[in-house]
Order: sequence, then C-alpha cells, then structure tokens
Amino acid sequence: MKILGISAHYHDAAAALIVDGVPVCAVQEERLSRRKNDAAFPLAAIEWCLDSAGVAPESLDAVVFYERPMLKFDRILTTALRAFPRSWRMFPKAMKNSLGEKVWVRGIVSSHLGVPAKKILFTEHHQSHAAAAFLTAPTRRAAILTTDGVGEWATMTAGLGEREPGGKTSIALLREIRFPHSLGMLYSTFTAYLGFKVNEDEYKVMGLAGYGKPSLVDEVRRTIRRTPDGAFALDLDYFDFHTTAARSYSSRFVELFGPPRNPFEPIDLETENGRRFADIAASVQRVLEEVLVEIARALQRETGARDLCLGGGVALNGVANARILAESGFERVFVPPAPGDAGCAIGAALYADRLYFRNADRDVPDHPFWGPEVSGAELARIASEDGQQVGECGDEAIVDDLMNGAIVGWMDGALEFGPRALGHRSILAAPHDVAMRDRINREIKYREQFRPFAPVVPVEVADRYFELPRGGARLGRFMSGVFPVRPEWREKLAAITHVDGTARVQTLERPMAPRLYALLEEYGRRSGVPVLLNTSLNLAGEPIVNRAVEGYSTFLRCGIDVLVAGRTRVVKRGSLLVKRKEDVA
Amino acid sequence: MQRSSTSSFDRLLAPVHHWIWRNPERRVQKLLRFGETETDGGRDLLRAAELTRDPLLRRLYLLHAVDEQRHGTLFRRRAAAMLVSGTIADDRAETAPAGHGLDDLDVARESDETMLAFLHVAERSAASRFAVYRNVLRSDPETQRIFDDILHDEKFHMNYTLTQLVRVSPERHRAKLWRARLTRLWNAYLRVASALAGVIGGAILTVQYFVVLPLFAMLSKRAAAREGEGWRAIAQRGADSMRSQY
Repeated sequence: MKILGISAHYHDAAAALIVDGVPVCAVQEERLSRRKNDAAFPLAAIEWCLDSAGVAPESLDAVVFYERPMLKFDRILTTALRAFPRSWRMFPKAMKNSLGEKVWVRGIVSSHLGVPAKKILFTEHHQSHAAAAFLTAPTRRAAILTTDGVGEWATMTAGLGEREPGGKTSIALLREIRFPHSLGMLYSTFTAYLGFKVNEDEYKVMGLAGYGKPSLVDEVRRTIRRTPDGAFALDLDYFDFHTTAARSYSSRFVELFGPPRNPFEPIDLETENGRRFADIAASVQRVLEEVLVEIARALQRETGARDLCLGGGVALNGVANARILAESGFERVFVPPAPGDAGCAIGAALYADRLYFRNADRDVPDHPFWGPEVSGAELARIASEDGQQVGECGDEAIVDDLMNGAIVGWMDGALEFGPRALGHRSILAAPHDVAMRDRINREIKYREQFRPFAPVVPVEVADRYFELPRGGARLGRFMSGVFPVRPEWREKLAAITHVDGTARVQTLERPMAPRLYALLEEYGRRSGVPVLLNTSLNLAGEPIVNRAVEGYSTFLRCGIDVLVAGRTRVVKRGSLLVKRKEDVA
Repeated sequence: MQRSSTSSFDRLLAPVHHWIWRNPERRVQKLLRFGETETDGGRDLLRAAELTRDPLLRRLYLLHAVDEQRHGTLFRRRAAAMLVSGTIADDRAETAPAGHGLDDLDVARESDETMLAFLHVAERSAASRFAVYRNVLRSDPETQRIFDDILHDEKFHMNYTLTQLVRVSPERHRAKLWRARLTRLWNAYLRVASALAGVIGGAILTVQYFVVLPLFAMLSKRAAAREGEGWRAIAQRGADSMRSQY
C-alpha cells in the first residue's frame, strides 16, 4: 500500500511517502526550493518522493493532508467573530489568506496529482503530530503529549498510544486545550517581544535564556495561569495575536515587561536593557518548563506509561524536554527528528496506514535520513571546473583537517528530515576552543554570540562528557535534549558549552551514521576527546543544503575550509569570489 | 555622466522620488523593501548558480548573488541605523512589504539565455532608478553613499549579463532582450492588477465585516462565554471521518 503524506500552507511544508507501512522517503519543500521555511504546497517535495520511490501518482492508495482545512477555517472565522470589532483589520487579511488557497486542498491535490477526490484523506493536526511522535518511536505503549502554536482548534493534546507488533495500533487522544490558550503562542509572543521572528527564532529565546536569571517568573505567571484541572489559560488581556495579525502582545503586556526590543538593535548583554531581555527569556523559559513538567507528570500518573512521546513544535525546546525526562516520572522520552509541522507529513501518512486502513503495525526505521542522497562525483566535477583542489579521501585526512583547526563542511548519504543536522549535512569542527565558536559565528553563521553550538559524541562515551540522566542518551539521539557538560570537561569543550554549562548534545549510535561515527572514533584516538562541534551546513537565512552543488556554493561564500561529499574532499584554494570581477566578466 | 545612466522616464519621475525620499519614515520603508528585494534576488541568483551547467556562468551568478545579498545587508543596516536613532517609530519595520526577488522569475525552469536577458534588463532598469535616488538623496549622504556603492556593482552586472548573453545566444540575444522587457512589463501589470484586486477585495470584506458579521459576532461571543477553560475531552470520531475536511 502506498500512501503520500503532505503538510503545507502554514510553515515548513513537506511530503513523505509510506510504502507497506514504512516511510521510504520524506523531504521538506525548503530543501528543494531553497526558500527557508517554505510553506507553499510542496510540489517539488511530492515529485521527488514519487520519483525516488518509482511510484506513479495514480498508483497511490491515498494522499493524506495533515490537518482539516475547513475546521481550521472555522477557528479563524470564529476567532475574528469573537474579537469583533477589534478584528476588523485582521478579518479581510485572514479571509483572503484562507479562501485564496488553504481551504481548497482537496481540489489542489486532485488537480496536481490526478488523484480522485475519494483517495484524499485528512487527519487532525494534532493526530498527525501524535502519529509522527508515537508510530516512529521504538515503544509499544506510551503516553502522548503534543504541543504547538495551534492546529485546527487544539493547541495541546494528551493521550495514549498502543501498538502490537504485526497487530493493531491505537492512538487515543483523550483531551485537548483549545486556542487561544496555547503554550506555543505564549512562547511565540515573547519571541516577537524580544525582537525575533515568530515561528522561526524561538530557539534564540531558549539560547538567550541561558544568559538571564528567571527573575520575572511572577510577571510571566500573570500572563498564564493554571486551571484547577491541571491545564492552563492565557490571560488574553496581555495578548493581541487573537485580534490582529500585526502584533502578538498587547499594550498591557508592554506595561508589565517594559518596552519591546527593537529587532534592528543587537542585544548587548553588558547593558541593563540587554540583561532585562535575557531575564525575560529565562523567565518565560522557566514557566514553560514548569507547565510542561506538571502536565507530563499528571499524564504519567494517569496512564502509568513508562514512555512519553512528545510532538509539536514546542518539542523542539530541548531544555524543557530534558526537564520533562528528569522530573515527570517517565523513563524514556521520545521526540522525533521532525516534531514540527514538517513531520506531520510522515505522521499523517502513518496515521492513515495504521488507523484508517487498519494495516498491521510495523517498526519504523529509527533514523532521520529520508531525503535525497548527496553525490561526491557531482562535487568533484563542479569543484574541478573551478580549479579547486579536489581529491578522494579517507577519514584520516578529514581528521587531520579537524586536528589542524579546519572547519569542515560534511555531506554524507541521505538528507536529514527535520530542522537538525544530525550528521549528513553538517559543519564539523574541533570543540575545544571558544575561538572556534567565535570563528564559526563570525565567518559562517553570522549570528548572535549568545547562540550555542551543539556537540556530537558516540553514545557509548557520552556519559563521560555530559551529565545524562536515565533516558538522556535516547533524547540526545535526535538532539532533542539539553544536558550539562561535566564541569571537568567544560574548559576542554568550550566551543560547545553554553554559558550555563549545558549543551544540546547528539548521542550517535554507529548504525545511524557509520561514517560520522568512525570519524568521531578516529578524532577521539588522535585528540583524546571523541567529540565534535556539529552545526547545520547552511548560512544564516538559508535552508540546510541538500545537493553537493548547494554545499559547494555555501563553501565558497563562507569560512568553511574543507568540503566533503561522500569520498570527495575539496580544500579551499582561496575564494573565487575575491577575484576581480572584471577578470571573469 | 549621471544623467546618461538614467532613463527619461525616471528623470520625469524625479520630483516624485524626491518627495518619497524626503520623508525619513518613507525612506526607511523604501530601504527595508529594497533590502528584502535584493536579498530575495540574491537567493534566486544563488539558485541559478546552483542549477546552471555552465561553469563560467556559475561563478558569475555566484558573484552577482553575493553582491545582491550584500546590497540587502547595506539597505537593512541603513534602515536599522535610522530606526535605532529613535526618530522613527519601531513598527515601521513590521509593515514593510516583502520583496519579489527576480520579478517572480521561476529560476529553476528558465534557460541561461532567458535568465541573462532578464537579469540584464532588470539591472539596467535598477541602475537607472538608483541613479535618480542617488541624486535626490543629497541631504542624506550616508544613504547616498549606499546607492553609489551599489551603482558601481550594477555596472558590472549589466556588462557581464550582456557579454554572456551574446556568448550563449549569439543569434537570438536581441530577441531575448525584447522578450525580457515585455515579460517585465507584463509582470508589472500583474502586480498592479493584483494589488488593485487586493484593495477592492479588502474593501468589500471590510464592508461585509461591519454589515453582516455583528449578529454572528454577538452569538459567537455568547457561546464563548459559556465555554470553560482548561482541558476538554476529545470526541472520538470514527476512521471514516478522515474523508472529511471538517
């Protein structure tokens, strides 16, 4: 049975193909269109999925869209009605936005793919998140908690998943919290207030939080209160996201926290204002963690489950995930590599396979590498045409580069699905020196100094360098948890240790990325520390690279010294971009 | 010499441009919009560099992309400096519309010759317009310097696009240039038409909002008042509900 899953129209569109109950490919539209967070209907992603699996559209058994468009439209219209007359500016925009394309999904899918309308199915947004989290995790029974900004109406759901090998699957979402009460919207509101981009820069708030003190938690708690049943409700007087598209916080919010940050003004942590912003970030982060931990703890008591599957964009918050693991009573916490909306493409397809078609349960391969393969030959051809130094190489040469302080662009195998570079499209560097972190920030990422870089370490030795609680290694598999670096290693791992002594560690098992694992082993043998700095292979504002040519153009435009694709290694021989333009014109 | 790079149409519009750029708020808006457009254009050129099979064009597109992205940064930094100076309201930044890169050209589907012809025409037009902006910005030397800097790059962009177009399409380069000019005109018409349709649509929806919605709004607010906060049980729907968009 062949099922295509699609997520689109809000942010991070994607497509995924399931054949006989197992994903065979999945890719985000942004990786192909090269437009970051591309929300457009993912035609390129669909085409690539079908082509790479050799599946014709007419042979698909179903196409599953990750949410119910009319139910979402119902929420948008109702929200505008409830905010009448303050919503008068928002209403025309919202209607044009929804009625233009978003409610005609059945027709769009049908016309693009030639699939009959009866083959087009819809899951609910949080069902897709739940399926993406539970059906891809190596667990038979787990509590499920999904949290994001908003789907149709739900912003958080809690439930239980059970599956028998070769047998039935059940996903019972028992209860939900509805819009406008939303942890995702709370965090996004603070993201906007702190001058960052909503739905894109939430992780910057998490990074900034490390520099602050949670001295404003009482103020944050005034904006979100707990309800007697253990849920939460936002005090809507502090928010405007439900009445206008222009601003998510109200003037009362500004009275409470002071003037918002001008997005064009850099955060200077030496100034009083800079410290205030860091304290606000730390405070909202603390409150988010508290709410999530308490809800997870109650869910554990209720279900008695040992495992928890987290889904939704809020599950990208590694600091909160680590606290849930440590304090909620669950032994293991599973977060898929793409817990956000992109992952819903896989979730929706799996949900239809197991619960609509009632196919027998099958284990899903436990890795994130569902995208296009990189070609070393392509890199060799392009780089040779430019007169670069190209050669075939073993891992020893790359370890030599890393030992000599080079920054290595690393492309190997199939592209990751999800926002994290987990070893197939990464920038690798020695993790020991703060100067390396500053160099990558200055010459490659062009980003704020307060944002940390992540380490990758073989799972067997992770505990030597990082304080991993029980289940921590699992959470680190897809870089979903933030854990303390052991104090005695902080100085030697300065490039990946955040100001608060933590790191968003990736714990690598050999079968998941054998070449990177071997590289870590060799680097460990030579340097004494089998840890590397691992950040995504892209420049600021661009998606993670997909093909060799995109890696190459990234390589030329920044301070990466060596580029590797498969067995091809290119050493930068001075940038072509500094040649006099007249010479080449 | 400055006049020679400016088209007569742009010279004709010089008083309008002078009026637009005189006001600091409008100036910030324009700079932010240019910042977006140049950055989008840089992204499209980067894509073109990644897609072409011609090694020389790949290098030139890449150089061009880096220039465009640098221009975007220059515009944004200047706008930011004006905003940070505190004389202009912060929400200017939020209201600036996004750019449209290479005029909505589908880079992935265009041939090198179409791409070069389009780039040449676009760069020529931008250079003409920017020359006017530079001239009307005498009271703001910092912004004027940015246009000077960009105009230097535009010369290179105009030259290489024409040289390379003649190289890759020696027989048909003139026809390609004319086609690019007509396409730009058509795209400009589409943008104006869709903006106009947007205004009309917005006006109709706003009228509907105040005429049709008040009763439903009242009913909806009453229903909202009856709703409790916190957890709600999720009604279990059968698998067949997956056929429904509701």
